[in-house]
This record gives sequence, structure tokens and C-alpha cells, in this order.
Amino acid sequence: MLTVVVRRFLLAIPTMITLTALLFFSLTAILGSPAALMLGQDASPEAIAALNARYGFDRPLYVQYFDWITSAARGDFGRSHTTQQSVAAAILPCILVTLELAALAIVLAAVAAVVTNTLPVGRHTLGPLVVAANLIGITVPNFMLGISLIFVFSVGLGWLPSTGWSPWSLGAFEHLKHMILPVVTLSAYYFGVFSIVYRAEYRDVEKRLFVQAARAKGISRSRVAFRHALPNAILPVITFVGLSMGQLTGGAVVTETLFSMPGIGRLLVSSIASHDFPVMLAIAMMIVVGVVLMNLLADIAYTVANPQIRIH
Amino acid sequence: MFTPRRIVGFALIGLILACALLAHWIAPYDPLRSSVAMLSPASAAHFLGTDELGRDVLSRVIYGARTSLAIGSGAALVAMLIGAPVGLMAGYFGGRLDIVTVMLIDLFVALPGLVLALVITVMVGPSLQNLALVLGFVMWPSVARLIRGQVLPIREATFVEAARAAGGSPAWIISQHIWPNTMRVVAAQFAVSVSFAIFTSSSLSFLGLGIPPPTPDWGGMVRAGYDFLAVNPLLSLGPGTAVGLTVLGFYLVGSSVE
Repeated sequence: MLTVVVRRFLLAIPTMITLTALLFFSLTAILGSPAALMLGQDASPEAIAALNARYGFDRPLYVQYFDWITSAARGDFGRSHTTQQSVAAAILPCILVTLELAALAIVLAAVAAVVTNTLPVGRHTLGPLVVAANLIGITVPNFMLGISLIFVFSVGLGWLPSTGWSPWSLGAFEHLKHMILPVVTLSAYYFGVFSIVYRAEYRDVEKRLFVQAARAKGISRSRVAFRHALPNAILPVITFVGLSMGQLTGGAVVTETLFSMPGIGRLLVSSIASHDFPVMLAIAMMIVVGVVLMNLLADIAYTVANPQIRIH
Repeated sequence: MFTPRRIVGFALIGLILACALLAHWIAPYDPLRSSVAMLSPASAAHFLGTDELGRDVLSRVIYGARTSLAIGSGAALVAMLIGAPVGLMAGYFGGRLDIVTVMLIDLFVALPGLVLALVITVMVGPSLQNLALVLGFVMWPSVARLIRGQVLPIREATFVEAARAAGGSPAWIISQHIWPNTMRVVAAQFAVSVSFAIFTSSSLSFLGLGIPPPTPDWGGMVRAGYDFLAVNPLLSLGPGTAVGLTVLGFYLVGSSVE
């Protein structure tokens, strides 16, 4: 078991190095000199050269990459060009906000997908509604869904705050109240995807003999559905949860921007808008590494849960 | 052939296409002409009201179909042009070429499309051509992976073996025997790619990285209208619904083929 984990991890290292190097080179090469970007269009060549020398942008790219990676490994991501604050200090509190949002959204999506598709009651009335909700989740972009929710629940009914974020220190109730709309917005897409995966598997499991046997023994319909069929149909959802954790960052960028949440996605957008190269680079790198790690975890979890594929 | 999903999907695509092609005749006003009637609510003269510059929102939504369809189909085309040859060759020749290609594909598929598009768009600057190129570049690995998977069983089919025995060159076999047999799936993937491209490009526009104003663009309109949600919600919800329906149309058509 341990060898499998170690092997997967070792395999992920070249992937991470390739991706981060690609990202680093393309960002620095195509963006041109970060100094020129910071100083704007009217900067004199001398000023650009001076700034290049000061930050070491004039050294060969591979030296800069190596330098960046070794400092990053020590937790030093440089300083923000706009605020002069350390990048690590700027990013750290944002990560927690994004992680909480992402985790809640994924849990909500998974639970909703599994429960709505397992419920044995009213398949003919509830079923089409669930399918319609799935389609809406998959095809309506986050920003549209979020704005519609704000329009109904904040502007119309006045039940929930429209935007903003409240830290835990100001009270759990206030915090959760601000989280409801963003979490629902972000989870809709995954609710759709998880539902499609789970529904297909569940329909398959339902036809199997042990489920029919359980039903024939006179066990109640809901008990058969939740205790016998559900555990056997849930494995693909678990895999999908792991695989989508990385992709979730895209949705988080839009959701955080819409709801003005101080997360990593909004920081990325604002760093792009202000040409803040070190922050942009650090976040992009972090997302890449995070995605690779999450896929790795999903891989390992799947191997642990399913002994059949442990052969290799 | 005509499942309800496909009928609805094609109907939606037809509607959007009609808007894009006939915008000049359908739209009641010039989408770029501002007037003093700023932020007026929905009325008989302006079905969706007017925006902060007094432009007719309905006309802008209708003209916005052009932008979205251009980016969506352009990006899907780029993804096909890169992904199809790569997938066909990796699947047909196999061996080392296949291993390297699959590694490359796995590398890219794992990355979040929106974040990748966001970063590249910053580098190259937002314009219609650039957005189509960037989104095509983001999507090609999934196209290549799908086509490669389709080629693998076809490669082993008897008719391909016969073609090989007849002395056919790889280029001839791929173009005459393999490519036509992947068309069904390729067409479906094209529709799915269009829906993903429109979904993502409108999200980029919403984040302020889309087609620069004043060109009517749905994502950008939603963003601009968001500030006036309490005054006239249709400013945001109108173009937002247009995005949703377009993505839905292409998704329904694309996902109806397995």
C-alpha cells in the first residue's frame, strides 16, 4: 500500500516541475519584462533596465525559475509590486477563505446529488425536476446564477446579504449567512456533474440481484435505497469529487469576484488588473500545484477504496 | 434521431443563429447609439429597458449573439484543428508517440480551463481572435483525448487491416478510413466545445477580460448591469439568460451523442 502511495507521489513530481516551469517561462516570456509591465507604456528604457537589474529580471530565465522555486520552497514568494507586502502574507488568509468556500460547495453538491437521486419517493415527479436542475447547474454560468440568487434573496426578499464576507470572529451566524449564496452558486455546476455520474451508477446497481433480494425480504424501500444501493453506487462520485477539486478554482474565481469575498480567486483577478506580477505568479503556481496534488489524492483514494486496481 | 433533447437544443441554436445573422433587421435600435433615456425600465419601446448610457438592452443582447457565436465556434474550430490531427496520429501510430501525447494531454486536461484562459488572455490581450485562439488552445487536449480513444478500436477493425494490406499509406488510411468513422463523435464534441467556449469566454468578460467595449458582449453586459440590479435587473438578467440558453442549446445537442 505504502509503495503505491510513494510511487504515485514520485510520478507527480516531474509533472509538477514541468507544469510550473512551463507556466513560469510562458508568463515571463510572453508578458515581456515584468518591469516594463509595472512601469507602464511611457517608461523610459533606462528606468526599465534599472528595475530589471534591481529585481534580477535581467538574469537568464532558468536561473530566475530556479531562484523562484527554491525561495518558494522556503515560503518566500517575493513582495507584491503594488503593496510591497510579502506575497505569502497576502495570500495566506485568502487561501482559507477559498478552501472553506470550495469544501462547503463540494460537500453540498455531493450530498444533494446523492440524496436527490437516491430518494425512492416520487421518481416520476421528482426525477424530471432533478434532471432539469442538473442541466441548469451545468449550463448556467456562475455569474448568472449568482446574480439571479442575489436578485431574488437579497434585492427581492431581503433575506440574505448580497455581497461581502464576514469573518468567523464576528460570529458564526453572520459568517454563515454571508456564505449561503456563494456556496450555492459554486456548488450548482458540481451538483449537475455529480448527479449525472451517480444516477448512471445507481440505476445500474438498482438492477443487481442483492438489491432485488433485499426488496423481496420486505425491507422498506428507503432502507434498501440508502443502506444497500447507495454504498455500492457512490464510488465514482468520490473519484469525481477528487478530480473536480482542482477545476473548482475556476468557479471560485468568478464566485469570489461576484460576491466580493477576500479569497484567492479575487486576489488573482485584482493582481491581474494591477499588473502585480509576483502575486499573479504565486497564485497561478499554487493553483497548478494544488490541482496536481488533488488529482494525486483522488488517485490514491480510489486505489485504497478499490483493491481491484492495485495490481500495477 | 429526434430526441426531445436534440429538438430543444437545435431550436435554441437556431434561435441564437437567427439573432446573429439577422441582427441588423431584428434589433429595434442601433446597439451602439446612446440616448438621454438612461436606465429606463422595461417598456413597450424598450422591452428590456436601457443601460447606463441609454442604449437599448434588447438590441445589444441580439447583437451580442454575434460576439458569442464567433468566439464559441472559432475556439471550437481551433481546438479541432490542433486536437484532431494529434488524436488521430497518436491513436493510429501508437508506440512512443502515443505515450508522449497522452502524457501531454493528461498534463493539460488537469488544469482549470478558466484560470489558464485568464492567465493567457492577460498575456496576449483580449480581442475576438485572441479569445478564440486562447480558448481553442485550452480545449484541444480534451478533443485529442476523445479522438484518440475513438481511433484505437477502429485501428484494429478488419476494413483498416484490408486497407493496410492493399498497400495504403498511413495518410490515406487515416483520412479515408479512420477520420470518417470518428465524425459522429467529433461533431458532438464540436457542439460541447462551443458551449464550453461560450461559458468560459462570458465568464472572462464578466471578470473584465473580455471583448473591450463598446462591442455588445453578454458577459460584459452582465457585469455592467450588476451595479444597477435594484434599478433594472433586466440589464444583467437579460444578457445572462442569453448566455445560459446558448450554452444549454449547444450542450443538449453535444451531449445527446454518446
